[in-house]
Amino acid sequence: YFSSSALLRANSGEPPKFQPPPKPVIIDKSKVVVERRFLSPEFIPPRGRKDPLKYYIERIDMIRRRKVLNIPEFYVGSILSVTTADPYASDKTSRFVGICIQRGGKGLGATFVLRNVIEGQGVEFCYEIYNPRIQEIKVLKLEKRLDDNLMYLRDALTEYSTFDVNMKPVPYSPNDEIPVNQLKVKMKPKPWSKRWERPYFNIQGIHFELPEEIMEEAQKLSQPWIKFDMLREYNTSELEKKIWNEVNEKLKK
Amino acid sequence: MPGWGLLCRAGARLLAGVPGGPVQAAATGTRGPWRFIVRPVNSSTWWDEHLSNENTQFLKQLTAEEYRAQTASKLCPLKDEPWPLHPWEPGSRRVGLVAIKLGMAPLWTKDGERHAVTLLQVRDCHVLKYTSKEENNGKTALLVVGGKNSSPFHKSESALEIFREAGVPPKQKTTIFKVSDNAIIKPGTPLYAAHFRPGQFVDVTAKTIGKGFQGVMKRWGFKGQPATHGQTKTHRRPGAISNSKVSKVFRGKKMPGKMGNIYRTSFGLKVWRINTKHNIIYVNGSIPGHANCLVKVKDSFLPTRQDCYKNPPFPTFFADGEEELPEDLYDQEVFQFTDSSVTYV
Repeated sequence: YFSSSALLRANSGEPPKFQPPPKPVIIDKSKVVVERRFLSPEFIPPRGRKDPLKYYIERIDMIRRRKVLNIPEFYVGSILSVTTADPYASDKTSRFVGICIQRGGKGLGATFVLRNVIEGQGVEFCYEIYNPRIQEIKVLKLEKRLDDNLMYLRDALTEYSTFDVNMKPVPYSPNDEIPVNQLKVKMKPKPWSKRWERPYFNIQGIHFELPEEIMEEAQKLSQPWIKFDMLREYNTSELEKKIWNEVNEKLKK
Repeated sequence: MPGWGLLCRAGARLLAGVPGGPVQAAATGTRGPWRFIVRPVNSSTWWDEHLSNENTQFLKQLTAEEYRAQTASKLCPLKDEPWPLHPWEPGSRRVGLVAIKLGMAPLWTKDGERHAVTLLQVRDCHVLKYTSKEENNGKTALLVVGGKNSSPFHKSESALEIFREAGVPPKQKTTIFKVSDNAIIKPGTPLYAAHFRPGQFVDVTAKTIGKGFQGVMKRWGFKGQPATHGQTKTHRRPGAISNSKVSKVFRGKKMPGKMGNIYRTSFGLKVWRINTKHNIIYVNGSIPGHANCLVKVKDSFLPTRQDCYKNPPFPTFFADGEEELPEDLYDQEVFQFTDSSVTYV
């Protein structure tokens, strides 16, 4: 192409300054690896007056268990399959597949609840992550949802809680960002087990088809001052970094 | 209290008689006409009220160094002219420990059963004083044991004397253990969690969580009255307290009052696991008291639990002895997290 320097020369008699073109910046995405730092929520100690030594002792045991059994990274909304030892089954194992609707507890007593609909019956299983009877935890589909707690699936249409027991695991690379499923779930007619439309639950993942009066009545119970309450703030970022370093070092040994 | 009427009348007389009396008493603390009514306050200052900042800092550092030196000097009790060690005999009673309740955690056995377990940490536990059985009551000797280290500045001189004689930093809790004559220990010896072994049973005493002044329904479990059907102002009251034939209220009648903050014991708790590095005892079940409260732990007295005391560390576990224990001691049935998952055959 013709550079503009020739035109400039034509306009004025002086020799123009040579402006080199801007250097192209090449980003090689195949080589740039952003490590995803995931610290399982049960490692972060809750706010309280207990001695941090107690949580440290529990963490040592949790790491020992993690070296024997691979507990993968998962979130509320991911689909997992768990095999446990069962003394009453014919092959002494029992396998359950479901969507994780809740992760609770801290330390060794941390639990997660899996939900599935089997032959028309909704079934929920609460597993303890560090229970020695668990033989395998496999993530079939790693994804997040719009909420941290999917208990409203109990009042949603059954199609949203049914998952194929023999589904094939969806592959995911450890460096991609976790996909957030923007699904908005349709509910069964009221009454529900909880009034999910109320702002206390702060649910984003329901497609409410309720009349506007009910939604407005529910908004009257909102507490907009809570987000300014300083006593409720619990900043765990520094704690998380320390615990992340500690846990990583021990897992590598 | 029976003397209240008398005291009130005496107080009223004094108030009327001496103008400016209460003001004088407040200024001087002990003098004035109130000295027979009001409990005398020995001193109304705190330890560093008249000290400069530098002096307080210096004193704090000095005491900290002194206590570090003291604990270091007591680390080798077996080389420090120990008292004669006797072997265990059936019928002998050994010392207990003072521990800190850290919290609770789950524990799994090899069969896959889950138990809830309390963690007790033994921190700076030393034997403080020995009273021989002649000085005591002619039957049992006593050993005073102290728990967690604390500052000397808010303790009375009489309390500090005991710690000074033992050569040990002042402790937050001191308890007395009745001990048989073959289990006496020299004051100043440190006590560790390995004093107890997994598989044995233990009694734990602590002060329950204080609930303050509570009504009869919470304190004694009374049923109260119905919420509706015409009840006038009576929903949580005790109802009748006696009958007309007796025409008196029995002593010890369950009534509202201060609940909690009293010593209670949990008996026969199994020890599942001992961590010798951090001195932690894993005890089955729950224990009275809040988190980080000080707790008295001793061998169980229950007759059905005496089989496990065939070979306890007697009179106590000495860290500088020949025994080298692994970091974690587990009971036979406990699932260790380094093992592979539980399977049924």
